Amino acid sequence: MTKTALFKLGLAAGLSLVAVAAAQAGTVRVTVAEYSAKTGPYFEEAAKSFEAANPGTDIEIEVVPWDVLLQKLTTDIAGGSNADLSIIGTRWLLDFVSQEVAEPLDAYITDEFKGRFIDTFLSPSVMDGKTYGLPIAASARAMYYNKALFEQAGIAEPPKTWDELKTSAEKISGLGGEVYGFGLQGKEIETDVYFYYGMWSYGAEILGADGTSGLDDPGAIEAAKLYKGLIDAKATQPGVTSYSREDVQNLFKQGKVGMMITAPFLSNQIKEEAPDLKYGVTAIPAGPSGDRGTYGVTDSIIMFKNSQVKDEAWKFMDYLFTTEMRSKFTEGEGFLPVNKEVAASDYFVNNADLKEFTALLPDARFAPVISGWEEIAQITSDALQKIYLGEGDLEATLKDAAAKADAILKQ
Amino acid sequence: MARRLSLQLTGRPLPVPSRARFLPYLLLLPSLVLAAGVIFWPVGDLLEIATNDVNRFGQLRGFNDFANFKALVADPNFTAALIRTVVWTVAVVGGTILISVPVALILNEDFYGRDVARVIVMLPWAVSLTMTAIVWRWALNGESGMLNSALRGLGLIDTNIQWLATADLAFPVQIGIGILVTIPFTTTIFLGGLSSIPPDLYEASALEGAGPWQQFRHITLPLLKPFLNIAMVLNTIYVFNSFPIIWVMTQGGPANSTDILVTHLYKLGFRIGKLGEASAVSVVTLAILLVFTIVYVRLAMREEAR
Amino acid sequence: MSRKWKRTLVAWVLLAPLMVLILFPFAVMTITALKPQAEVLNPTWWPSELRFRNLVEMWDATNFGQALLNSLYASGLATVGAILMSIPAAYAMSRFRFAGRGLVRQFLLVSQMLSPIVLVVGLFRLMASLGLVESVSAVGLVYMAFNIAFTVWMLQSYFDTVPKDLEEAAWMEGAGRFETLRRVFLPLVTPAIAVTAIFTFINAWNEFVIALTLLRRQESYTLPIQVFSLVAGRYTVEWHHVMGATLVATLPVAILFAWLQRYLVRGLALGAVK
Repeated sequence: MTKTALFKLGLAAGLSLVAVAAAQAGTVRVTVAEYSAKTGPYFEEAAKSFEAANPGTDIEIEVVPWDVLLQKLTTDIAGGSNADLSIIGTRWLLDFVSQEVAEPLDAYITDEFKGRFIDTFLSPSVMDGKTYGLPIAASARAMYYNKALFEQAGIAEPPKTWDELKTSAEKISGLGGEVYGFGLQGKEIETDVYFYYGMWSYGAEILGADGTSGLDDPGAIEAAKLYKGLIDAKATQPGVTSYSREDVQNLFKQGKVGMMITAPFLSNQIKEEAPDLKYGVTAIPAGPSGDRGTYGVTDSIIMFKNSQVKDEAWKFMDYLFTTEMRSKFTEGEGFLPVNKEVAASDYFVNNADLKEFTALLPDARFAPVISGWEEIAQITSDALQKIYLGEGDLEATLKDAAAKADAILKQ
Repeated sequence: MARRLSLQLTGRPLPVPSRARFLPYLLLLPSLVLAAGVIFWPVGDLLEIATNDVNRFGQLRGFNDFANFKALVADPNFTAALIRTVVWTVAVVGGTILISVPVALILNEDFYGRDVARVIVMLPWAVSLTMTAIVWRWALNGESGMLNSALRGLGLIDTNIQWLATADLAFPVQIGIGILVTIPFTTTIFLGGLSSIPPDLYEASALEGAGPWQQFRHITLPLLKPFLNIAMVLNTIYVFNSFPIIWVMTQGGPANSTDILVTHLYKLGFRIGKLGEASAVSVVTLAILLVFTIVYVRLAMREEAR
Repeated sequence: MSRKWKRTLVAWVLLAPLMVLILFPFAVMTITALKPQAEVLNPTWWPSELRFRNLVEMWDATNFGQALLNSLYASGLATVGAILMSIPAAYAMSRFRFAGRGLVRQFLLVSQMLSPIVLVVGLFRLMASLGLVESVSAVGLVYMAFNIAFTVWMLQSYFDTVPKDLEEAAWMEGAGRFETLRRVFLPLVTPAIAVTAIFTFINAWNEFVIALTLLRRQESYTLPIQVFSLVAGRYTVEWHHVMGATLVATLPVAILFAWLQRYLVRGLALGAVK
C-alpha cells in the first residue's frame, strides 16, 4: 500500500501542470441529462439566477448525453467522484437505493413542497415509504396520426382498436409512393416499450400477478402476432429493425407514415421542423376487451449520500421545482407537467395535443421497480427483433425470453 | 578502423562504451514509466474486479470462484460475439491489407496529382471513427438515407435497401466501413516502407531484365515485410478492439446479431451493470490478443532469423 | 512526358472506386450541413439553396469553439509528449544492445494491445483517485501513454533503416554521441518523426472512449464527444448541425494532412535514407 501511495504521489507530482479542481465548500455539482439542445442552456441559466440569489453557493452543471448517463454515473460512483445531485431514470432508482447511494429526501420535504406535485408522478420515486427522488421530467405516450394521409386513404376517424388500426394502416400503405401505415420502432432504446402498448391492450402485463414475466402470457403472444402481422402485411415501414424512435419520428415528420406512438415532445419538434404537417393526437388503440395502456416515464433528480453540501443542494432542488422554473422547463422540452400549478397554467390548459396525453394518464404504467430492469428490457428487445425479422418460432422466442427474465427476477 | 571491423562482426547494435552502460535504460525510462503507470495500473484493477463479486458501482464483495468467467462460458451471446469478433478482425485486416498494398504502390509512383490522391486516401483518417459512423448511419437510413437516394438517382436500384435491418447486410456493410477507415493508416505505413527501399535495387534488377512483377516479388515484398508485419499486428489489435462503428450503427443488434466482444462488454458493463462479467470479457480479450501477439512475434522473429 | 500522362491516367482509374467510397461520406456531410432545416430529412442531393449560415448557427449552438480548443490542446500535448519521450527510447532500442531489450519490446507490444474501451473502468478509477477527472491535460496525458508504444515502435523501425556508417563516420571525426545524434542522425530521421507525429496527433484527435469517460462538462468536451452528445439519446437531433460540426472538425486535420504530406514527400524524395 505504501508502494501504491508512493507511486501515486510520484505520478501526481509529475502532473503538477494539471490543475486539480478541488471541491470548495459551497460548490454544488449537478449532473443533468441532455434531453434536447435546450437542456444545457436552461440549467446554466437556472444556476446563474440561483447563484445571484444565493451568494456563496456555486452551482456547477454537468450536461451528459442520455445514452451515456448510466455509464457515467456508474464510473463516477465507482470512482467516488459523483456529483451532489443528478438526474437519473426513475427505473434505475432501486439500484441506487439498494446500494445506498441515494439520500432519502424526507427530512427536507415540507408539506407545502409535497403539495406542489401531482401524485401520479411523485409516487414512482417513493420506496419503502421514503422519497428518494423528485420527478424532474415526465411524459406519457399517445398516438400521432397524419390527417392528410388519412384523408387520402378515405379514413374518417383515427382507429380506436388495434383491428381498426390494422385496416387503416393497410389502406394507407396501399396508397403507394413509399407511404406506410404504421410506424413501428424496432431498434435501440424503448424497442420493448413500443411492444408493451400492444401487450397491455391485449391484457398482458410486464410482470404478472405472481411476479413473473408476462412475456409468455397469451396477451403478449397475441400482441406479437399482431405486430408481426402488420409487418407481413406491409402495413409498417420496411426494415423495422433499423428504425430507432428518432428514425420513426423523422418518418412521421416527413409525412411518410400514417401513425406512430410516441411522447409529447414530438409536437414541439413538428412545430419547429415541419410546421405544415397536419396531424392529430389520439389515444393508443384498445384491445378486444377494451384494455389499453400508455407508458408513463419519469426521470428523477436525486441527492447522493456522500454529498458534503446537502443543504445547499437541497436549496437548489427546491428552486428547480418552483412553478416558474418548472413551467419554463416543461414547455421548452415538451414534457408533461408534474407540478399542479404548472398543469393549471394557460399553456397546458389550452394545448389540445397535451390533453390527449393527460387523458391517458389513468391507464399509465410505469416501468416496474425491480432490479435488473435494464437487462430484462434488453432481453425483451432482442426477442422482439428476432420476431420482427421472422427468425424462429414466435411463441418459442417469447417463452425463452420470459424464462430468461424470470431467472433475473428470482435473483 | 578496429572499431569498424568489430562492428561488422557483431552485427547491428553499436558497441556500448562501458561508461554508457546505463544510458539505454535512462533513455527508455520516461516512456516505460508513463506506459506502466497509465496502462498497466488499470489492468491490475481489472483483474481484481473480474475475479470478484462486484455490484454495478464497482464495489467489490469478495472473491467469487471465477463465477464471472463461468457465466460467460454459459452465455451463447458471448460465444457468438467471440466468433464474430474473429470474423470481423480477419475480414477487416485482410481486406485492408489486400487493398492497401496496391494503393501504396500506385501512390508511390510518380504521376500528376499524386499529392492530391494521397491526401484523399488519407482523408477518412481525419474524421474520428465516431463521426464517420454517425455519418454512415445517417447515409444508410432506409427511407431518408442519401445512399439509397443516390443509388436510385443513378438507376441502380428501384426500391430502397434496408441496409441496417438485418445482420446479413449490416455486418458486411460494417466490415466495408471498417476497411475504408483502416486503409489510410495502413497505406501510410506501406508508403513509408516503400520509400525506404533504395531505388538502385530496382535499377540493378532492371538491368538484369527483371519485369515489374518479378521486382515486386523479389525486391518490394521482402523489403516491405517488416512494414506488413507492423500493419498486421497493429491493425489486428485496433480492429479487434474497435468499438464505434458497430456501436453507433447497430449497437450490436438486431437481436445481438452484429455484436463483437467490445460491444458485448459495453452492454454488459454499462447497460446492464454487470461490471464483473464485463471485466471478465476484458480479461478474455486481453488474453486472446496476448496469445496472438506472442505467436505472431515468434513467427516473425523466426523468419527474420532465417 | 507522355509516359507520365499514361501513368497518371492508369493511376487515377485504378484509384477511382476507392476515391468514390472515401468521398461519399464527405459529400453526405457537406450537403446535409448546408441544407435548409426543412429539407434535412429529405434525402435529396440538390437542396434548394446552400445555407452557409447553418455553420455559423452550428458554431454557437454546439459550443464548437471551446471543443475545438480542447481537442487541439489534448492532441497537441499528447503528440509533443509522446514524440519527445519516444525519440530517446527508440534510439536506445535501435542503437544499443543491452540486457532486457527483448523484454522492453514485448512490454511495449503488450501495452499496445490494451485498448481504452477494455480498460475504461480501471482507468477511470485511477484518474479519480488522483483527482484528475475533468482535466483535459489528464486526457492528453492518457493519450500520450496509449500512443507511446506505437511511437517507439514506429520510430525504431525507421531508425533501423538508417545505416550506421554515417554516425560512425562522424565518430571517427571525433564528434561525441550527442553531437552525432543532433547533427547527423536527427536530420536524417525528421521525416519519420513527422509521420509518427501525424499518427499520434490523429489518434488523439479522434479518440472517443477516454474523453467520454473522463470529461463530463461541456467546457471540457473534445470534438468527438461534443458531436456525439448532439446525437446520443436526445429526443430530437439537428442533423444539419451534427454534419456541420463533423465537417468543420474534419477541416483542421485535412489541412494538416495536405501540409505535412508535401513535407513528407519532399523529405523522402531527398533520398536521404539509403
